Amino acid sequence: MSHHLPKTQGSSGFQGHHLPVAGSKEEPLYAIGARFETPEALVQVVDHLRDQGVSLYECFTPYPVHGLAESMRLPKSVLSLLVLGGGISAVLIALSMELIPSCLIYPLVVDGKPLNLSALPQYIPIIVALTIMIGAVTAVVGMILLGGMPRWNNPMFAWDLFAKDASRGFFLAVEARDRKFSTSALTELLHELGAGDITAIHEEASEGK
Amino acid sequence: MSTTSNITTTQETSELNSPDLHLLERPPQVLNNRNPLWVTDAVCSIVEGKTPLWWYAAIAFTGTFAAIGGACILYMICTGVGVWGSNSPCFWAWDITNFIFWVSMAHAGSLISALLFLTRQKWSLSISRAAEAMTVFAIVCAGVYPAIHIGRVWFVWFLFPVPNSYGMWPNFSSPLLWDVFAVTSYLTVSSLFWFAGMIPDLAVLRDRATTKVRKFAYGIVSLGWLGTARQWRHYEMMYVLLAGLTSVLVVTVTTIVASDCATSVVPGWHATIFPFYFMVGAVYSGSAAVLTLLLPLRLIYPQLRDLITPSQLDKVCKLLLLMGSCVGYVYVFELFNAWYSANPFERGAFWERFTGSSAWYAITCLSINLTVPQLFWFKAVRRCLPLVFVLAILCNVGMWFERFMIVTSTLTHDFLPSSWKDFHPTIVDILTATGTLGIFFTLFLLFIRFVPIMSMNELKATLPGAQPHGDAINSNHLAEEAH
Repeated sequence: MSHHLPKTQGSSGFQGHHLPVAGSKEEPLYAIGARFETPEALVQVVDHLRDQGVSLYECFTPYPVHGLAESMRLPKSVLSLLVLGGGISAVLIALSMELIPSCLIYPLVVDGKPLNLSALPQYIPIIVALTIMIGAVTAVVGMILLGGMPRWNNPMFAWDLFAKDASRGFFLAVEARDRKFSTSALTELLHELGAGDITAIHEEASEGK
Repeated sequence: MSTTSNITTTQETSELNSPDLHLLERPPQVLNNRNPLWVTDAVCSIVEGKTPLWWYAAIAFTGTFAAIGGACILYMICTGVGVWGSNSPCFWAWDITNFIFWVSMAHAGSLISALLFLTRQKWSLSISRAAEAMTVFAIVCAGVYPAIHIGRVWFVWFLFPVPNSYGMWPNFSSPLLWDVFAVTSYLTVSSLFWFAGMIPDLAVLRDRATTKVRKFAYGIVSLGWLGTARQWRHYEMMYVLLAGLTSVLVVTVTTIVASDCATSVVPGWHATIFPFYFMVGAVYSGSAAVLTLLLPLRLIYPQLRDLITPSQLDKVCKLLLLMGSCVGYVYVFELFNAWYSANPFERGAFWERFTGSSAWYAITCLSINLTVPQLFWFKAVRRCLPLVFVLAILCNVGMWFERFMIVTSTLTHDFLPSSWKDFHPTIVDILTATGTLGIFFTLFLLFIRFVPIMSMNELKATLPGAQPHGDAINSNHLAEEAH
């Protein structure tokens, strides 16, 4: 796959601490970013970072890369539990929505047929429909919120290479507030592991200044 | 000894190269060894390029029909349902025919994207987004009718269990009320499925946007998606869950729509085969609609030929054949059942259906649906795309007549011969129906122009070499984990 992607810049020679800067130099350093040509390289770097105890970093990929989440030691998504909860509450909502009016508030007796729980089959279709609807809404809203969205701005957007087309590679950003963060050590490691476009990402100057 | 082993080796090698084993190989998802960047460019270029002239012409045409349809609906609301041809005893006519027709067409979209995703049929990846869009737009068209066919639309809230001072509450034992919930949840879930699957691709369009307006618009709808490992973790889980929920919903919705007819005691409707009947008919007409929409797209945008491959279209044709054969089976079984029931009303209903004044609906329906799908047994037919296009349109015409036959031929001839009366559509009926076609195609044209018509992230994830261990596995590996 490596030959598919454009060659990364700067992987030919080590540039020491004079990294290209994205964002405004006056603003605090947000992270050190790097781009990889292959998913393998990214997973390999993550393994190294983990061994060194770096924890505040993020990987950005154009599609889900297998093994990356495992390397990052990400837990299984809690979304399935949320959806289960949403589904169970939907069953209860639907049952009470049907039974309370049918049995208590306004019994609509047709042909003398029963309306209580012995008539459960007639309540099932609406229960199923509502369960699926509420489950699906929980899944989508849960995915959006758990993924830290909606968030329309991000310090990463200061980095043009990333912001212009993040689908052109596999990106890594190690945040400056990590306890083990050291620009020189990190740059060296990334360079050794074949990262390209290693960049110091500063936050963008706010418009008021 | 050595000679023998040599022979064995030679045989094994020749077996490996034999055409039989070659047949077992899966055809590539994307032809011509395209790379991820090419996939992005090919899909994005449709949205990013200059709006072609044909698009303006097409949307003006479909938009006109939609507007005329809208005007007819307005006229109907202002005047009353008497402007339609529906009258005693046939109170349901084109309204419910079209409702069933559209809601059924929607099903293949969900089936292709959800059920085939869960069963790891990778071939459906490139057509699933368009199929989902078709689903959403078809439900929009279907949703037009139930609301307006009640006559006094300002009382449409009676359908929902809203606490009110009239002391009035919907009848929860009525399939018509189940329908309200089924269609509402179907529209909600399929829209969510469609939109949520699009978020990562909308983010790609945002990144590539060159104008401020585009950047802003795609920025808002992509919700700030970055493609972080954490986001993908939740996203994949959501996709599996939604696919599971949607698959169940597909079956539920058709069953409930079929119950509208089947739970009545009207001869010709009162049959337990109806849910299955509607289900196979739905997938059949929906697969035909997918072909009708994708084949012109492939012609207009040549870059899509590597993404929508002949082998994938071949599989949709086979799906059409399978479902068409099931539909044929149901027709025959229905007739057998009417005879075998020895019920004079049931027998009479079917006799009337094929010999009465409206026999031509039934004859059109049967002659198309029993023959056209059977042509797809032949590879030459499946590979001749212009022919496939024509046959797919014919299948949908046949299916429309089937819905029309089920709804009207049954109602016009009920138990009491003195009340029998034929149905004749009025111009308002016809223009409202063409109006929904207009709405459907207008929405689809907007879809082509403004959002990525294929799931770029799923396609890229399945390209050779896309995954670290060298194997291209599609993104539903989470399904395995979940088990």
